[in-house]
Amino acid sequence: MSEHNWLLRVRNLTKIYGEPNERTLALTGPEWNSNICPDTDSIVACAGVSFDLYPGEVLGIVGESGSGKSTIVKLLYFDMEKTAGSAWLRPYNDGRANMLEASGQQKRYIRNHLMGTVYQNPRDGLNFRFSSGGNIAEKLIMAGSLHVGSIRERASFLLEKTEVPVRRMDDTPAAFSGGMQQRVQIAKAIANNPPLLFLDEVTTGLDVSVQAKVLDLIRELQQELGIAMIVVSHDLSVIRMLTDRTLVMKHGRVVESGLTDQILQDPQHAYTQLLVSSLL
Amino acid sequence: MNIVEVNQLSKTFELHILHDKMITALHDIEFSIAEGEIIGLTGKSGSGKSSLMKCLYRTYLATGGEILYASSEGKTVDLVKATDHEVIALRRSEIRYCSQFLSVIPRVSAIDVVADPLARTEKNRDLARARAKDLLEVLGLPTALWDAFPVTFSGGEQQRINVARAIIARPRLLLIDEPTASLDTRTKDVVIGLIRDLKQEGTSVLCISHDDYTLERLADRRLHLQSGRITNPITEII
Amino acid sequence: MIENTKYKRSYNFAFIDESTKKEVRRKLLKAVAIPGYQVPYSSPEMPISRGWGTGGLHVTLAIIGREDVFKIIDQGSDASVNACNLREFVQAMTGCKTTYDTTEATLIQTRHRITEEELREDQILVFQVPQPEPLRSVERYEYRTRQMHGEADYAKMWVSLYESYVRHGGIMRGADYPVKVNGRYIMAPSPIPRWDVPNLNQAKTLYLFGAGREKRLYAVPPHTKVEPLEFEDVKFEIEKFDSLCYKTGYRRAFLDELYLDDGSRQYVINDSNFLDKIEQGGEITPFINPYIQQIEL
Repeated sequence: MSEHNWLLRVRNLTKIYGEPNERTLALTGPEWNSNICPDTDSIVACAGVSFDLYPGEVLGIVGESGSGKSTIVKLLYFDMEKTAGSAWLRPYNDGRANMLEASGQQKRYIRNHLMGTVYQNPRDGLNFRFSSGGNIAEKLIMAGSLHVGSIRERASFLLEKTEVPVRRMDDTPAAFSGGMQQRVQIAKAIANNPPLLFLDEVTTGLDVSVQAKVLDLIRELQQELGIAMIVVSHDLSVIRMLTDRTLVMKHGRVVESGLTDQILQDPQHAYTQLLVSSLL
Repeated sequence: MNIVEVNQLSKTFELHILHDKMITALHDIEFSIAEGEIIGLTGKSGSGKSSLMKCLYRTYLATGGEILYASSEGKTVDLVKATDHEVIALRRSEIRYCSQFLSVIPRVSAIDVVADPLARTEKNRDLARARAKDLLEVLGLPTALWDAFPVTFSGGEQQRINVARAIIARPRLLLIDEPTASLDTRTKDVVIGLIRDLKQEGTSVLCISHDDYTLERLADRRLHLQSGRITNPITEII
Repeated sequence: MIENTKYKRSYNFAFIDESTKKEVRRKLLKAVAIPGYQVPYSSPEMPISRGWGTGGLHVTLAIIGREDVFKIIDQGSDASVNACNLREFVQAMTGCKTTYDTTEATLIQTRHRITEEELREDQILVFQVPQPEPLRSVERYEYRTRQMHGEADYAKMWVSLYESYVRHGGIMRGADYPVKVNGRYIMAPSPIPRWDVPNLNQAKTLYLFGAGREKRLYAVPPHTKVEPLEFEDVKFEIEKFDSLCYKTGYRRAFLDELYLDDGSRQYVINDSNFLDKIEQGGEITPFINPYIQQIEL
């Protein structure tokens, strides 16, 4: 892997709620044990996050609730506006333009063609007023497909791939179990063969056996499609099972990053050591 | 030609959750591994064998020193300081680590567990599965188990899966921890034979073992660790 | 009858004051310049409630001149209560000549229909619009629909058509069928039947739309491309009637279903002026479009 092969390059990604002053960043973070600025009460959701993601690579982001791990994914998927920072995605303008500064229309193009996302809550990723086929159709339509026959063909293929009974294609996901809703979300997320997929706590709240099946599916899709992924989870076993590399976050900052087996077996930061020791 | 040169390698664990207690696992380690050489790593439990091996694989971050690896592309990479991506690339294509215990993904069949490393490098799952079957056959794993999940296997069966997985993609550098510990003599011989085959193809091996039977048949040299230090001038085995 | 002189005073020509007319006209110019785009406007108070044709009335009163001949129809009928009241009001406030005859009129205000007779370059059709936002059914927030229009992000609209096909085997929109105007904006054509939708395309007439309650104006200028949304394999269709007008035997018109006193069901031409002309053997100049042409005479 050469230095220039990255798929996604993120530098200094920062999101602050409220009105920060020039001391906000210096007075927040893990060493202050807080992400709230004592001067301004602004909240540093994440700050100074930088990393490279390579094609086909799976990056984990781990940390407790409120550590800012989901914020990163939301910023990169344009669900939120950044406060500062840059992100370049190779297939967008050959990686030369900061996608966070793109126009709304360009962002939509990037979201629909170059990325997919699976949210913790299926209601965030799916429209329960539409059928599951319709939810997938939305992605396909955004990519320019206006042929009902081929939309339905592709939707069946994707549902089959994600092990959702195709005969339930015309049912709304509201009638599905939690695990099946996640599968529909995954089918929708990969509908246009994006090179990059975000998975935000996708198995949280599912039964253990259902969780295992969803994780298996994700791993199989990753191997088969070679899709790069960013996996956000507070669950180290999910991180261990899916990822090559991991960022550990606390109070909005990356406290440690490294190979996943290194993070789990030789954690350097006090927080990571605590996290890993709580695992078993 | 040496493919690994370890210079002044040290490893200290700083345990923040135990009031920053410092535990030094490795002191001033120096040795090299030549192309096609098999080094046996010996020492009592807790002497630092596994720590050394994990430092080479970058599962542990060395505290000091360097581990110079001569890659197949002709570059010298310091595995202590290399970027994560460089290490991932090397792990995918030329360095493999085979731990003492099987730590594979649950709910994947024995065949696929073994085939996986080759399927990733060759991008051909069918070919990888065929090779995996050959290996499992040679290692005498009952056919009935091939499609079963290794998590439920006995120690000896898991061991064989583990070895097969480690060697299937023919790594340039194999780090292997107790490859024969829970195997009967016949299977031991098979494993020894497979590792020697790799050596013939130029693979260098660092092998932890307590078993003289294995070391006598496998190791070109032995490296003995005691309390995190190499205590012997490297002994040559004729 | 009690004579009440309290409110008897003279009004400005066409009721609305000149500066408000100017505002409406400027917004209409903008609407014409950006076909299908919804222009917000002031929607001033009128002597009728908002939502009862005030949008159409604002447009009519802002553009009507002393020489205009005014016609107003309500679902094809010149004689409904609503049409009569608004006609009287416009007539009282302008002194303009009014008519039932589509060809004679220069300015026509309509609720939920386009005339069967083809309109000319020298005529203007003003639509009363209850809901100007075609995306409202799929997105309830105004700031979101504005953004969707701005970015031409119409996937949700298409998904709702897809869903309609999946559930009903066809695109089930009886009225207010969404159209794409000039290849850009998706527009609500107001609740006209699908029958009328093709008559919006490349028309000779200026079409103006006023939504008083929602405070929006929009327009389709003459000779503008207006396409009903359709999939490559699931096409837009106009209404099919399994019968003909029982009074005239005519087929190529939008028909109303009628239950007669003997309980039998019959069909009759909806456009009252068109029906009158055919019954009286007068000359008619109907709209012709590819959909209507498929219907046998």
